[in-house]
Amino acid sequence: MPIDMIVNGEAKQSAADPMTPLVDVLRDEFHLTGAKPVCREGFCGACTVLVDGEPRAACLTPAGLAQGREIGTVEGLSAGGRLNPVQASLVEHDAVQCGMCFPGMVVTLTHFLAQTPRPSRDQVRAALTGNACRCTGYERIVAAALDVAGA
Amino acid sequence: MTASPSFYAASSLPAALDALAECGAEGAPLAGGTWIMRAPIRHEPLKPIYVGLGGVPELTRIEETDGALAIGAGVTHSALGEAIAGRPELRVLAEAAGRSANPAIRRAATLGGNLCTADFAAADLVPALLCLDAEVEIAARGGTERLPLAAFLDLRQSLEPGRLLTRVLVPRSAAFSAHARLPLRKAGDYPTAIVSLSITRDAAGRIAQARIAVGSVETVARRWTRLEAALAGAPLDAEAAHHMATELADEFVGRDGVEAPGWYRVSVLPVLVRRAVIALH
Ligand SMILES: Cc1cc2nc3c(=O)[nH]c(=O)nc-3n(C[C@H](O)[C@H](O)[C@H](O)COP(=O)(O)OP(=O)(O)OC[C@H]3O[C@@H](n4cnc5c(N)ncnc54)[C@H](O)[C@@H]3O)c2cc1C
Ligand code: FES
Ligand code: FES
Repeated sequence: MPIDMIVNGEAKQSAADPMTPLVDVLRDEFHLTGAKPVCREGFCGACTVLVDGEPRAACLTPAGLAQGREIGTVEGLSAGGRLNPVQASLVEHDAVQCGMCFPGMVVTLTHFLAQTPRPSRDQVRAALTGNACRCTGYERIVAAALDVAGA
Repeated sequence: MTASPSFYAASSLPAALDALAECGAEGAPLAGGTWIMRAPIRHEPLKPIYVGLGGVPELTRIEETDGALAIGAGVTHSALGEAIAGRPELRVLAEAAGRSANPAIRRAATLGGNLCTADFAAADLVPALLCLDAEVEIAARGGTERLPLAAFLDLRQSLEPGRLLTRVLVPRSAAFSAHARLPLRKAGDYPTAIVSLSITRDAAGRIAQARIAVGSVETVARRWTRLEAALAGAPLDAEAAHHMATELADEFVGRDGVEAPGWYRVSVLPVLVRRAVIALH
């Protein structure tokens, strides 16, 4: 049975087995390669996407659980080809190095800052416990997030 | 050729129980999927059929009933942490649910999945609920039974197919509670050891009753009854509790794991007891 979902506002249908990780459906079937399967065990956050508006690990989400849901990927966060404020701030702070973690960082931080407009440094750090970055050492990422919040 | 696993999304509790009964040993429930989806990494086979519980409304309720808080097995860690925030008697559970794993996992992982994963020693909700004297409700097509969580932990490995954990019942109490866990990094990984504590005090402020559970040290979490007995009647003092825990810790045989050897897990217990007592104040 095909799986129906709305991806970045567009109705999509997947023919994948329902136990296929959602990240593979997004990348291999829908060619949205922003979310990345890196650890495939929920630790690194590189596969983070929005499911009904909330960040989830797409590597541990079976495609069958996406039936009837709205999925948002990093590709959907820059409307009209313009960077969103989180992306722009990360560029400004020169926080992006290899870029592996960034699609997930952007999805997590965009959602977090919408929920918590004036976060403390500790709140930002806690929000990022599921997003690992091997390159920057987090300081610039946290600074970029606090900057967006005007904190 | 092996058929690829299939998935059936149940829309009610009876439908889920029927589907599980019909699948027998071929099937299993799938709640958040955060454990099941890692089967390939653990080199374990997937079941031929999964019965999805995400669409079963009966499982996501949290209600006050006859003297207990009844928490549906499908309640996620994040929903549980938010629902019980600010209640001192349940703080141990709020912290176990609200600090484990990471935010994205907590939005998917369920209470039922945490309790039913028999080979997961580091589950945070298990010791938290043991120290709260929780009971679990197990349903099958033929009916429902209720049993203490500790008894369920003993039999969950051999739970017959077709059974579902539906609710966890936490008796109401006037206790104060705290959850102390030690991940190796600051956050995001499994705790190497967990101490969950729930205490009632007498009029003089001394410990009337202490309930203490230890998780992640041995393969299955359990109550530390010798320490509970030693603390009863004692003043609420972190140093004294640390000292008693040091004397009594030799009853644990720690499990060796990639992240920590067994002796290390046992050796941190007294410090976790002290932290839990301090957190009560
Ligand atoms: C990155 C990461 C970090 C983690 N860190 C922690 C941590 O710090 N502390 C912690 O406690 N946990 C941690 N976990 C584990 C996580 O809590 C469990 O994976 C989760 O609780 C399982 O719930 P689930 O709903 O996803 O279960 P599923 O994967 O859906 O199911 C797990 C098992 O339980 C069975 N099952 C599920 N629901 C029921 C039910 N109602 N009745 C009967 N059987 C059922 C399934 O058949 C399966 O065997 C972590 C997980 C990840 C991925
Ligand atoms: S690939 Fe999903 S969390 Fe790492
Ligand atoms: S920039 Fe390389 S992992 Fe974050």
